[in-house]
Amino acid sequence: MSTPPSSTQRESRLLEAFVQMADTLVDDYDIAEMLHQLAQYCVRLLNAAAAGLLLSDQRGGLQVMASSSEQTRLLELFQIQANEGPCLDCVRTGEPVHVPDLTEMTGRWPSFAPEALHEGFAAVYAIPLRLRQDTIGALNLFNTGPGPLPAADVEVARALADTATIGILQERAIRRGEVLTEQLQTALNNRIAIEQAKGVLAYAANLDMDRAFQALRSYSRNHNIRLTEIAHRLVTGTLTPADIVATGGPA
Amino acid sequence: MARQPMADPWDERLAKARAALLHALHGTDPLGAVCRSCVRLVPVAGASVSMTGGRAQAEMLCSTDDLSARIEALQFTLGEGPTVDAFTAGRPVLVPDVPGAPAQAWPMFAQAMTGQAVGAIFAFPLQYGAISIGMLSLYRERPGWLSGGDLAIALEIVDVAALALLNHRTGVLNGEQLAFLPRGREQIHQATGMLIAALGIPADQALARLRGHAFATGRLIDEVAHDIVNRHLHPRDLDQ
Repeated sequence: MSTPPSSTQRESRLLEAFVQMADTLVDDYDIAEMLHQLAQYCVRLLNAAAAGLLLSDQRGGLQVMASSSEQTRLLELFQIQANEGPCLDCVRTGEPVHVPDLTEMTGRWPSFAPEALHEGFAAVYAIPLRLRQDTIGALNLFNTGPGPLPAADVEVARALADTATIGILQERAIRRGEVLTEQLQTALNNRIAIEQAKGVLAYAANLDMDRAFQALRSYSRNHNIRLTEIAHRLVTGTLTPADIVATGGPA
Repeated sequence: MARQPMADPWDERLAKARAALLHALHGTDPLGAVCRSCVRLVPVAGASVSMTGGRAQAEMLCSTDDLSARIEALQFTLGEGPTVDAFTAGRPVLVPDVPGAPAQAWPMFAQAMTGQAVGAIFAFPLQYGAISIGMLSLYRERPGWLSGGDLAIALEIVDVAALALLNHRTGVLNGEQLAFLPRGREQIHQATGMLIAALGIPADQALARLRGHAFATGRLIDEVAHDIVNRHLHPRDLDQ
């Protein structure tokens, strides 16, 4: 792990991150890509070991939408929380969940806590993504050392969670519940298409899932086509794995 | 805005609805049963399920009543309406107030609906990521959106309808294990992608192959997907 940034460094990084996010949000953007960037910012700004975003499926469950790394084991750790863990508790109560020491939680979360400890994490935090009274998901942070999240980091995490909420709901005025459902369900399904596309590319180009994701992102950026659109094209065969690996493969 | 509490996964009503839907999947006419369960489980007047093949081709497979059938047929004839939009965009189109909806959205369809007892239309695409298989359309006689609890059940119905339609399309028999396809498991979707690339088959067939293998070997689809993603099982071993 890197050393924590100084307060001046941190302030300028924060500023840079929010300026970039604001830039994204005024443009025609892809929710999947925006949330991926946000997860990266969480790791950098909060000095977290890993970060992920989970959304409510509106059926009582949660689905992973973005992760600071697409490593299979990390994604699994987020996904376990559809059944138990800090994110589920956070979404159900609408309140942040801070777990400075995971070893104390093996009784409460018999699947999640041992799995997270096994992966080398010691502390976990979940910050709600809130829209007025609704909680639409959670921002999940992991640290390798035990301890509480510093007060300044709590503020930053909350601001990043709010940015995610705004980003998911896009420019639409979400005053009515049905528009929220349209947005959430579409975002969740697009994430499934990205997983399918990762699989296509992972097999065809013999990459691990994280590399496959990076290749999709590079192609998306180089060709200025949304990540979601590329995923759909690759899965339905209008784009071939060779197109992606040949012209926009991993750097 | 009225408070819309997120669904409680252990909610008794939701659990009962899940059990009823599972039962519907096992009958002789799963699609019809799923369609009818919409009217029974959520406050809507009618429902229909259509299968979509190529571009703009849709075939209605079941409906609960004449008006549902007419709403669906009319939209695909005119080439406009909430269901057509939902199909084209691959996203739900939820119209809680049909008479009050802006007329420019669907001018011909809106005109055809004038005087009909159609207050709300909720059109859901039946899809798994990039695999688009059909549409579920619900209508209410009076305008109004669904409560959080009703929405959770409606979305469960969408999941089960997608599963029933996938079974119908790929010609698999109904069975205990085929009633299980969790959406949130990323490895199932990754494995589907790997099968597409390895076997050169369309996405819906890749998913069917994965499910079929799990069924034939008596394993959970999660386990099979896990083995494929971790390269313990080669996609070619699923080639029949």
